Amino acid sequence: MHKVLIIDDSEINLTLIRALVIKLGECEPVLFDNPVKALEWCRSNEPDLVIVDYMMPEMDGLRFIAGFRALHGRTEIPVLMITANDQKDVRYEALLGGANDFLTKPIDRIEFSARVRNMLALRTGQKFLADRAAHLANEVAERTREIRDRERELIYRISRAAEFRDPETGAHIQRMAHYSEIIARGLDLDAATCNLILRAAPMHDVGKIGIRDHILLKPGRLTPQEFEIMKQHATLGYELLKDSGSEILQAGAEIALAHHEKYDGSGYPRGLKGSAIPLFGRIVAVADVFDALTSERPYKKAWSLDDAMRFLEDGRGSHFDPLCVEAFLAGWEDVLEVRQRFRDEEVPVI
Amino acid sequence: MSPFVFDKASILERLGGDEEIFVMMVDMFLQDVDRNCQSLREALGDEAAVLQREAHTIKALLATFSDNAGAELAQTLELRAKTGELADAPARVDVLLARVAEVADVLRRLSVG
Ligand SMILES: [Fe+2]
Ligand SMILES: [Fe+2]
Repeated sequence: MHKVLIIDDSEINLTLIRALVIKLGECEPVLFDNPVKALEWCRSNEPDLVIVDYMMPEMDGLRFIAGFRALHGRTEIPVLMITANDQKDVRYEALLGGANDFLTKPIDRIEFSARVRNMLALRTGQKFLADRAAHLANEVAERTREIRDRERELIYRISRAAEFRDPETGAHIQRMAHYSEIIARGLDLDAATCNLILRAAPMHDVGKIGIRDHILLKPGRLTPQEFEIMKQHATLGYELLKDSGSEILQAGAEIALAHHEKYDGSGYPRGLKGSAIPLFGRIVAVADVFDALTSERPYKKAWSLDDAMRFLEDGRGSHFDPLCVEAFLAGWEDVLEVRQRFRDEEVPVI
Repeated sequence: MSPFVFDKASILERLGGDEEIFVMMVDMFLQDVDRNCQSLREALGDEAAVLQREAHTIKALLATFSDNAGAELAQTLELRAKTGELADAPARVDVLLARVAEVADVLRRLSVG
């Protein structure tokens, strides 16, 4: 149904044009004998075609068209102006002012129908293109979302691959990722950054893929040499993920390299100190250690929450960034919720 | 001036041969003719722009019924009002009103008969 706005101060013309428009079919005429009121209507309604008389009191057709075109989103809508044959100068002015075509008075049905049909065809084409553009934009958004979902799934699976060879569990990487997000939120990082660390933190130990089984899976304590080899997982993870085009993998590379640094400079692999340690590394350090302590492993029992909390507090400024510990403890309720959600037995997929 | 000749064929041709719309137009004309004439008469005491507009309206009315001679009268009045030549305006208005009355008469007889 085309909405056809008709503006003419003469009632007989309104009636005639309305009758002709209805005869065209698939048209819903909207009539105004006052152009000022019609313009007001156009603010909140979108006609598909405007038929406007030139000579009217208060506001002539030219001024109406100028006002109409100035409204938001009304630059493309076709406008037909009705003029008498002798108003050639007016026609030129109207063309410059945004009219698309003219109707001659007295109105001739053949001419009227042809011109109105042309304008409505133009409008249908415009709408089709607009719909198509919107459709394509939707499609792109949809595909982008699919790709992003797949990227997340892939990251999760890569991270699991490393963890499979490790006593650590799938639930561990979920929990530590969510703890990292809680800390990021507590530090007032923006939503996108919080989401980024949530997605990237699972990759912190991905370098363990490159550590030989007899060291990685050794049940007892590692010798100093074995521990040196074990430490390489940080750099290996970084090498694996660095130079990626993906923002998440880049963040993952940074986290892999920095998650065993300690605030006082006694960590590895680079021995960075304080704010020289990338922020994501400082955040993940707290999240990772807390979850390792509070989880049961084949070689150790789980620490109590109180003991683990005390360990974090004691490590402020030495092992951990004090602000990260503070943010973690401030989000304690959320921490408990994450512990409930991701237990070692059942691992929900992200 | 030649008397108004009702040329239904030419009017209908412009309306695409649609009797229904034709009847509607005649009704509208007859309904509004007194008010339109009144407005034209009163415009004489008003600004030239008002007279110009009322003459324009009458022109459209007469043209709708293919009264070329009448439409021409209205157009001359419209143009003279536009250029401010108002000396003979009362006389021209009288002639035009008489013409409208004549057309209305013909149409009235037609719609009754
Ligand atoms: Fe690690
Ligand atoms: Fe870990």
